[in-house]
Amino acid sequence: MENTHHKQSFWSKYVFSTDHKTIGTQYMIMGMIMAGVGGYLAYVFRYNLAFPGKSIPFYGMLGPQAYNAFVTIHGMIMVFWVGMPVLLSAFGNYLIPLMIGSDDMAFPTVNMMSFWIFAVSALVLIASFFVPGGAFGGGWTMYPPFSAGGYLDPNPNFFKALFSGTSLLILAVALELVAMLMGGINFLVTTINKRAKGMTAWRIPIIVWFLNIAAVIFMFSVGPLVAGAFMLLFDNVLGTGFYDPHRGGDPMLWEHLFWFFGHPEVYVLLLPSLGVLAEILPVFSRKPLFAYKTIIYLALASAFLSVLVWAHHQFVAGIDPRMATFFSIGTILISIPFAGIFLAFMATLWGGAIRMKVPMMWAIGFIGLFLVGGLTGLFLGSNTFDIYAHDTYFVVAHFHYTLFPDIFFGFFAAFYYWFPKFSGKQLNSSMGKWHFWLTFIFFNGVFFLLFFNGLAGQHRRINDYSSFSLISREPYQTFEQIATICAIGLMLTQFIFIFNVVKSLRKVKTGVKNPWEATTLEWVSDSPPPHGNFNPYPEVFRGAYDYSLPDAEVDFTPQNTPKA
Amino acid sequence: METKQNHLTIPIIKIPQGRLGTWVLIAGELVIFGGLICCYLLFRIRYPHWGAMAAHTNTFIGALNTVVLLLSSYTIVRAHGAAVKLDVAKARLWMTCTLLGGVMFLVDKSIEYAHEISEGFTFTSPKLVAAGDHVGSLFWSFYYIMTGLHGAHVLAGMTAIFIVMMQIRKGNNLHRVELVGMYWHMVDLIWIFLFPLLYIAK
Amino acid sequence: MTIFPENVSTYGQDIDNLFWLILVFAAIAFVISLFVLLYPLVKYRAGNGRRADYITGEKKKHFKWVTYALVALLLSDFVILYVEHDTWGNIESVPAISKNDVHVGIIARQWNWIFVYPGPDGVLGTSDDVYVDEMNSSLHVPVNANVIFELRSQDVIHSFFLANARLKQDALPGRTVMRWFNITKPGKYDISCTQICGILHSKMRNFVLAETPEQYKHFTDSLYAANKPAPVAAAAADTTKK
Repeated sequence: MENTHHKQSFWSKYVFSTDHKTIGTQYMIMGMIMAGVGGYLAYVFRYNLAFPGKSIPFYGMLGPQAYNAFVTIHGMIMVFWVGMPVLLSAFGNYLIPLMIGSDDMAFPTVNMMSFWIFAVSALVLIASFFVPGGAFGGGWTMYPPFSAGGYLDPNPNFFKALFSGTSLLILAVALELVAMLMGGINFLVTTINKRAKGMTAWRIPIIVWFLNIAAVIFMFSVGPLVAGAFMLLFDNVLGTGFYDPHRGGDPMLWEHLFWFFGHPEVYVLLLPSLGVLAEILPVFSRKPLFAYKTIIYLALASAFLSVLVWAHHQFVAGIDPRMATFFSIGTILISIPFAGIFLAFMATLWGGAIRMKVPMMWAIGFIGLFLVGGLTGLFLGSNTFDIYAHDTYFVVAHFHYTLFPDIFFGFFAAFYYWFPKFSGKQLNSSMGKWHFWLTFIFFNGVFFLLFFNGLAGQHRRINDYSSFSLISREPYQTFEQIATICAIGLMLTQFIFIFNVVKSLRKVKTGVKNPWEATTLEWVSDSPPPHGNFNPYPEVFRGAYDYSLPDAEVDFTPQNTPKA
Repeated sequence: METKQNHLTIPIIKIPQGRLGTWVLIAGELVIFGGLICCYLLFRIRYPHWGAMAAHTNTFIGALNTVVLLLSSYTIVRAHGAAVKLDVAKARLWMTCTLLGGVMFLVDKSIEYAHEISEGFTFTSPKLVAAGDHVGSLFWSFYYIMTGLHGAHVLAGMTAIFIVMMQIRKGNNLHRVELVGMYWHMVDLIWIFLFPLLYIAK
Repeated sequence: MTIFPENVSTYGQDIDNLFWLILVFAAIAFVISLFVLLYPLVKYRAGNGRRADYITGEKKKHFKWVTYALVALLLSDFVILYVEHDTWGNIESVPAISKNDVHVGIIARQWNWIFVYPGPDGVLGTSDDVYVDEMNSSLHVPVNANVIFELRSQDVIHSFFLANARLKQDALPGRTVMRWFNITKPGKYDISCTQICGILHSKMRNFVLAETPEQYKHFTDSLYAANKPAPVAAAAADTTKK
């Protein structure tokens, strides 16, 4: 609190700030920069797939080693350095204190450290491209023994092994997980302890609930992987044999540790975005969120089930066939709570008075695309069909249809929605609509046809398909080219967004406090919120979604309006 | 600003912030060790040969260390008791005892490590590998990673206790004694699991 | 253009049928959901002084629609599970080896597939096994016979993928996995590795050559006549058995 009394230096205000809003913004900017890096990698390897053997503009020739590394690091970046910071950390840091009526996070210094550890992890990751041998190229799942250099050399040279792409990647991931753990502790303590007067559990907005459930899932699934990552690192640099079958170890151990975290991680990424939908849909349909309490129960159920489904990534890995049935049933069961949440979101629209503003378009687009992603999950959750579809482009298209709407549509929906809060200004809406429609069309252009490539038996992570008679034939090569052209279009479209943001930031403030006429607490504060957020601090009298109350004069009743 | 703070510090759930944070931290740490212990157990069931390897660990030092850690947990409880009574001098005295316990634990552990290393049981145990006993060498990898990670936590706990000892010199932040105490109990608890798994079960 | 590559195995059709079954369920769910999502955007637009209905969704008469949909989803999930269950058991469990079956070994390594033929005695793991370790070689098998293979890996994780037979199985170092296939049509079919395994992952391609029993007999006879186990291959066999 001292900060408000003294004039802050540039460093303490923008760089080593402990203010939750600055830290949230830092996370967001860092995530967007990393999305640029990940997008560039995707551009390079997609170009190579469409036009094999051609020199790639802005890169050059792409060899198989670099191709593998690019595919691997693209996946890593998009999950750990874009999805996690943007969805969990940026939203969580920026929104939790504002939405529960608090001045800041519970542990601001820990929060700041969390960001800087994250920043270091990103640097370590980027550095791994420039060490001898280049970045790791064994898939983002890092299956040993391929990722455990010790299998080649039982007595590795410590420094040479430490400064290899593999070790740096493990280190970067470990640092990133530590940063997120620190953030997670902060979310939980803040939400439990720092709520405004009257903000009881059943009045907390869904997004805050979901961010906390995501933090809990994360904390309880990541521990074994942290231990496993240490073991992998030691296999690399010291030559231990934790994952080396010739020395008593077992590579399957890593598969279990990785997916025990890796699958819940999907829900860690999904829940914050669903929270964004839960905020946006009621505002733009002027109607209370459908089945608020049930949604929370469903999310809690899915959190519980999320640690029981991991081995559906290992149906063909050589696990006991009887075990697969158990995990197939688990996978089916976990689809129920998420389907329930999506249905409740759709039900929110029925009977509303819908305003088709830009954030709403992104939200609807999210649900539409996720529908494809979710339903194609039915095919892969079936262990029998997975025998065929595993590690093909069907899987690639499936998870891009879930993760792309989740990360990017979720992010853009949130960004267009909260930008007035964040800056006090409005984004240009016709540019926003162009941005939406082009992104939507190009995204489908990239991935829809790839489902067919996958069904034709095209397997993943192959830089050159010429060896395979089945899939180097037409029309699959044409599909690859369409996908690549659309991918380039998709990336170029994002410049509309950047231009829009830059242009809007230079406008004068609108001075409108609550442009969307929303009920949650963050709109009670000034836009942008000052240090300390609220003055005076709000008291909460009602739930988060009181829209169109029959006896109210206007169609929204903010949470801090006393009950009549 | 002060008035706003007062308004805000009425928590709905009356657990002090630091205590809550420490609980969450401990939960996270336990999952890390839990994962490691599960991996160890799975291999242990697969390789009965590990019992012969565990026979090489020094049960006496292990038992001694268990006692040392339990005693140091007792002293940190006394430090907390003194801190509650705002008796800074006594709290710091008891905390010094805990630190001494930690030092003793680490000294014992180093003696033990030195002995084991001299017998050729290292992190990678090249001697065992050369003799073709790959499975045995994996036991020692697990032994060192588990006790090593635990040792790192002992060291972290001691650092935290030392920092808090410095911070409470003038009678401020006495509540932090409880927090480091909780953390120290966790370190103790993990050892209670490691001791039978690595030393007793042969 | 056909969706799937030509199916040549006995159980491949089951997997294709399963795909079409799930597709029916998915398509119905997709159409209904899309309607539920898009219809209100047209019907319930703001304007003309329209005010939204106050529905919290906590009441039974509103929530029952979600429940119906979830029950329908759960039921179709279990229908899928029921239908696929036999196929899964059929593919994943190896039939008892009879006299007509062919028993072979497949060893993955960076970056090739090594094929092991059982030798004149027809039993794998004996000293007369013959190892074929050549790039782009073919695994010769007779048609209409159960081919039971032991899959191993020498170094890292690979995955044996025979798209035309709808079969995929990871090869984990340190483990031996038994699987089987039965090809019904003579021809040459791609084997690919679907688990990223290093720089030449995309060149790790061999073939299964399905032949008539006479051709197969002729092939094995000449192979066994020409081959005492080559020293290199024998060494390879030793490292994998460690």
